[in-house]
Amino acid sequence: MGNVVTSAKPVLVLCLGNEILSDDGFGPEVARRLQDEDMHDLPADVVFAPLAGFHLLDLLVGRKRVLIVDTIRTGTAEVGTLHHFPAGALTPSHSLTTSHQISLPTALELGRQLSLEMPDVVDVLAVEAQDLETLSEELTPAVRAALKQTLDFVRSWIRQNSSEEPSR
Amino acid sequence: MKSIVIDPITRLEGHGKIHLFVNDDGSLANCYFQVPELRGFEQFCVGRPVEEMARITTRICGVCPDAHHMAAAKATDAVFGVTPPSAALKLRNLVYNAFYAGDHTTHFYALGGPDFVCGPDAPPAERNILGVIAKVGIDAGKKVIAQRARGQRIIEIIGGKKVHPVTALPGGMAKRITKEEQAEMIKIGEEMVEFSKFTLQVLNDVVLANKAYVDLILSDAYAHKTYNMGLVDANNKVNFYDGRVRVVGPDGKEHCKYEPKDYLQYVAEHVEPYSYLKYPFLKKIGWKGFVDGVDSGVYKASPLSRLNASDGMTTPLAQAEYERFYETLTKDKSGKTPVNATLATHWARVVELVYACEATLAFAKDDEITSDKIFSPPPGIVGEGVGIVEAPRGTLTHHYKTDKNAIVTEANLIVGTTNNNAAITMSIKRAAEGLIKKGTEITNGILNRIEMAFRAYDPCFGCATHTLPGEMPLELVIHDAESGEVIQTAHRNC
Repeated sequence: MGNVVTSAKPVLVLCLGNEILSDDGFGPEVARRLQDEDMHDLPADVVFAPLAGFHLLDLLVGRKRVLIVDTIRTGTAEVGTLHHFPAGALTPSHSLTTSHQISLPTALELGRQLSLEMPDVVDVLAVEAQDLETLSEELTPAVRAALKQTLDFVRSWIRQNSSEEPSR
Repeated sequence: MKSIVIDPITRLEGHGKIHLFVNDDGSLANCYFQVPELRGFEQFCVGRPVEEMARITTRICGVCPDAHHMAAAKATDAVFGVTPPSAALKLRNLVYNAFYAGDHTTHFYALGGPDFVCGPDAPPAERNILGVIAKVGIDAGKKVIAQRARGQRIIEIIGGKKVHPVTALPGGMAKRITKEEQAEMIKIGEEMVEFSKFTLQVLNDVVLANKAYVDLILSDAYAHKTYNMGLVDANNKVNFYDGRVRVVGPDGKEHCKYEPKDYLQYVAEHVEPYSYLKYPFLKKIGWKGFVDGVDSGVYKASPLSRLNASDGMTTPLAQAEYERFYETLTKDKSGKTPVNATLATHWARVVELVYACEATLAFAKDDEITSDKIFSPPPGIVGEGVGIVEAPRGTLTHHYKTDKNAIVTEANLIVGTTNNNAAITMSIKRAAEGLIKKGTEITNGILNRIEMAFRAYDPCFGCATHTLPGEMPLELVIHDAESGEVIQTAHRNC
């Protein structure tokens, strides 16, 4: 389930997905493992949210730098491959594409037009998924195997982005 | 015409993928619309305590979690043979109407509305909520965001969380409401009603005042004479949470009205070899193919069909708008003559938005919601239950069977989009027939006009897509009807 953040830090790791939809449980699992670490020493909030569209606005407001952890299916890479879309690139990951909601770029622009404080940087880290349709609480083996590399990437991203001044 | 058979093993798992088969003379031979469907629902549920269903099923759909929560709660009440106290039912109605108000707001301003506010030929990059704001002003954007927040706040107060509520239990609700919380919800309800008036003004000024848009709504390209399904109360008025399912024909005559537990007597499901998604139809009429008319079992379950299946609304502003809707479109404000124009679904959604806001305020004002009596202990285990609510996208049915320990042994869902699967396919075909001929250059405007045919239903495509690039893609493939050969493909991101 999503976490309630009481004191927002400027750096956010936003893990999207659905714990009961096979590989879509990747984001929640990354969040759970990071949250098991000593959160007090982590210079970033780690939040899991099974949400998209307008809901992202609520989570992004007031943040400076955000890393979204999600799943993707490009069909052109081995299952378990990590894709990193830096800020400004397309953000085509699973939870960011829905016919029922506004897209991430639209949400960011909407926030800016409404004079809300939106992040300067939104990166996306997505794992190539095998199964995003079967209701199951298990990740497929190749996606599970990508967890360690993902956690290493996220920790490194947090260190780098916590020490840098956001560029305007 | 050559028969096209797609081997089930190789069937495509398209996401909003449309296949059109065109004859040599340029006429459209057939149309296939493919959407993905989540798999393994029953396997996932079997073996779990049935009281978990109201929490689990909120996670199978990120768009309608509250609808699944309520349908599951009602089905679980039935499994335990318990009726929640009046205060609990009012709280369920209150939170559910607040959810509706937010959901319909999102669709009108961010999804369906841009087609009319920005125009069907506007570039996709502009045909979104940013384009709406550019046309109607920044204040509109602020109002939309505020309206969403209002709905979420009520869900948070009653439901425990802003999304994915956890409040309904077999026999009632989990959390009592304080007088202070009631006062806050009354204020929110009042603001919601004001927002609904603002939305009516936007609808009037931007859509209905434009004759070209009204003509588009009423054009034959977007009309279908199917049956209409919707939940109604004892007076045949629209009700999102409770009542009996009423089905009214394209001629305005009542076909049936049934209790949720009897749904299998009235609805059956047709299977096509190219799609995982089934096609529900009216059992007593039968499946006659993708055709209109009183002799075809195809039905719609949508905001438009809910109005068509009802005799009106229970709140004053919504009733007035209901009458204006029918007076404008059928010259009969009673609503006895169904509206068959698919694009009128957007207006019907606004009528429902007004109702949801008024109902939210009415339930918030009811002092009984602060009662301590919000839970009735289940007396035993019946072992089977059906719960039906109106999800924003159509009639939602949950059906569970359990063993003597209330462990799930069977589970079945018919979700809003599934109800509309045949009607969506027909709407796309009808729109395509008027727009696509052999050799037609597929422009963004043509793609959008076809897309508009199914966007009116706001269908759930398994909640999301997983393909590059970017947002919800639409892929249109034109085949030679004789050979099946692909003549042309066109892609766009919606």
